[in-house]
Amino acid sequence: MPSPQTPPPHIRPVLVAGGAGLAGLAALTITGAAPTGVGLALMLIAGVATALGVAAARRDATPPALTGPAPLVGVTAQSPYGVIADMLPDPVLVVVAEERDDLTGRRFVYANAAARDLLRLQKSEGVLVTVLRRPEVLEAVDAALFDAREAEAMYETGVVQNRIFRVLARSLGATPAGARLALMVFREETEMRRVERTRADFLANASHELRTPLASLAGFIETLRGHARTDEAARERFLGIMQAQAARMSRLIDDLMSLSRIELNEHNAPCETTDLTLAVGDVLDALAPLADERGVRFERALPAVGAALGVGDRDQIIQVLQNLAHNAIKYSVDGGQVRVSVETGVPADALMAGGESSARFPLLLPDPGPRTFVAVRISDDGPGIAREHLPRLTERFYRIEGQKSGERSGSGLGLAIVKHIINRHRGGLTVESRTGKGAAFTAYFPMAEGAVPSAATGLATKVS
Amino acid sequence: MNEHIVKSFEDELNTLTAECARMGGLTEAQVADALDAVVKRDQALASAVVGRDDRLDTLEAEIERKAIRLIALRGPMAHDLRRTVAAMKIATNLERCGDLAKNIAKRSLVIVESEPMTPLTRSIERMGRLVVLRLKEVLDAYTGADVERAVAVWSRDDEVDEHYNSLFRELLTYMMGDPRTITACAHLLFIAKNLERIGDHATNIAEIVHYEITGEEMISKRPKTDALNP
Repeated sequence: MPSPQTPPPHIRPVLVAGGAGLAGLAALTITGAAPTGVGLALMLIAGVATALGVAAARRDATPPALTGPAPLVGVTAQSPYGVIADMLPDPVLVVVAEERDDLTGRRFVYANAAARDLLRLQKSEGVLVTVLRRPEVLEAVDAALFDAREAEAMYETGVVQNRIFRVLARSLGATPAGARLALMVFREETEMRRVERTRADFLANASHELRTPLASLAGFIETLRGHARTDEAARERFLGIMQAQAARMSRLIDDLMSLSRIELNEHNAPCETTDLTLAVGDVLDALAPLADERGVRFERALPAVGAALGVGDRDQIIQVLQNLAHNAIKYSVDGGQVRVSVETGVPADALMAGGESSARFPLLLPDPGPRTFVAVRISDDGPGIAREHLPRLTERFYRIEGQKSGERSGSGLGLAIVKHIINRHRGGLTVESRTGKGAAFTAYFPMAEGAVPSAATGLATKVS
Repeated sequence: MNEHIVKSFEDELNTLTAECARMGGLTEAQVADALDAVVKRDQALASAVVGRDDRLDTLEAEIERKAIRLIALRGPMAHDLRRTVAAMKIATNLERCGDLAKNIAKRSLVIVESEPMTPLTRSIERMGRLVVLRLKEVLDAYTGADVERAVAVWSRDDEVDEHYNSLFRELLTYMMGDPRTITACAHLLFIAKNLERIGDHATNIAEIVHYEITGEEMISKRPKTDALNP
């Protein structure tokens, strides 16, 4: 959280001069006490509020002039701090009220652009309760208005893309005519909440994933000690299942540990050079038995050794390629084909291509810059993935509904690991897929300096 | 009391609308909190929801009193009369929603006693979010006097029903699969039913808002809905 901001010296004189008397005074007092970094916002608004408050206080004397929003908007648009307040990214409201039991008397008399946008306001003036109904928020405003107390409340927009705000309400004192003023500043906390929720979900999922094989193990042990004690054939079969379940648990634990190790090192990028052609070759050789079992053939399009040099930790690159190739084999149809190609000298903006209607989705984008990448593309001819699932593929334990975890066993962490490793390498990851049309994942690793980029090498050697 | 007498007629009507909006806000919070209590298995929150229900009853009585007083003393006509009656009817619907939310909260206290059933709670959460959204949309339509939004809420009524039907099947599957879950599942079934009825009240409010603004009944070409009162 940023420390309290004091306005730069060149703004201060304008404010003090513009705010005139009460405004300047109130603004400075509030700024001095601001603990949350909204100091500047408060200072600007206090000026606006006082101007408005004086206008609002004249309500009794000249009601017709103030019923319409026009004169109030005029005040804010003309004053220099009004323009600045209007441009603040945080939604801001100024509320005026006279008596506690007068519900329609609580009116907002200023709403900046962000507030008008958030609350879908047509005017920047109106009855407060018609735009903000949440009881906690109204209570916080009341506390600021009538008890001169600073209060906070949470506000959720409640629509499909739910946004969560912390609303800070502060007293702005009273106008000479006795109307009370309060300031409301909304600070968005949507992202923070989302992270919290992800963390909680992760723990719940991890324990759930571990519990399932454990329950199965315990069940079979019970059976083996009980009525299957003497049944030779059943015992063999059960032991086989138990071994598979134990292997599944150990895979999950390996993946969890591997993920946490990668996360620890994520901020320091590796600097070794790795030959991607050799790495791909090693991975495909290692996976050959699995591919044979499924009758899946590899088709490779690799540049010559020494042409595709990437910056990266060899073991981790192999882990990425292995996870991607393993998935490709797993989701391929029996007797299908997995194509692996390596391309060099790919610019960063190649990853961006694709739009709403495209089958291509970037799962991880590198920092923009002039550097080029070595791209490893691994594609299968399996059932493909529907577009709505693409953005969530790298979420831990994310499973596409309808897909049974048993039938294609995996820890649910493979792509999360891939994403974190590539992120450590400052690379990128994209997926292209359509339902029924197979899936292709492309991993981008930064090219090593000095390697000769050559687009033609993409098809230089073709081994089958 | 004196300032109420000197207040203009328009001010009194505005107060009535504002009171309704405040009551709406409280109802939304009650429903959302009751749902959260179910999803997060939060006993304290559930008790808080149960405790807050009195406030809704008080607000409804107050709105009704004010509306009757306004009709008696001012004799509102046309749109003004519709506004007054609408406030009264909306308050009644909101109060019913509050009762249903209270019931959901009470049931969540029973469910906490049994093992968590994550997939079911997720389905309930999805359905609940949809209902909360409908309630919010219709109250926005009311406070913004926006007929189009009211009609939009009204015409999307069957979404909630679909959720309810699929949840019903899901719950039956669970109960048949493992009889130990029957207690919790039965309560979840009632929670789903309550949510569905809150959705129906939102539809009712949409009709009231339409009548208030246009003076016409909604032409009933809406897809089938369950009867509101069992």
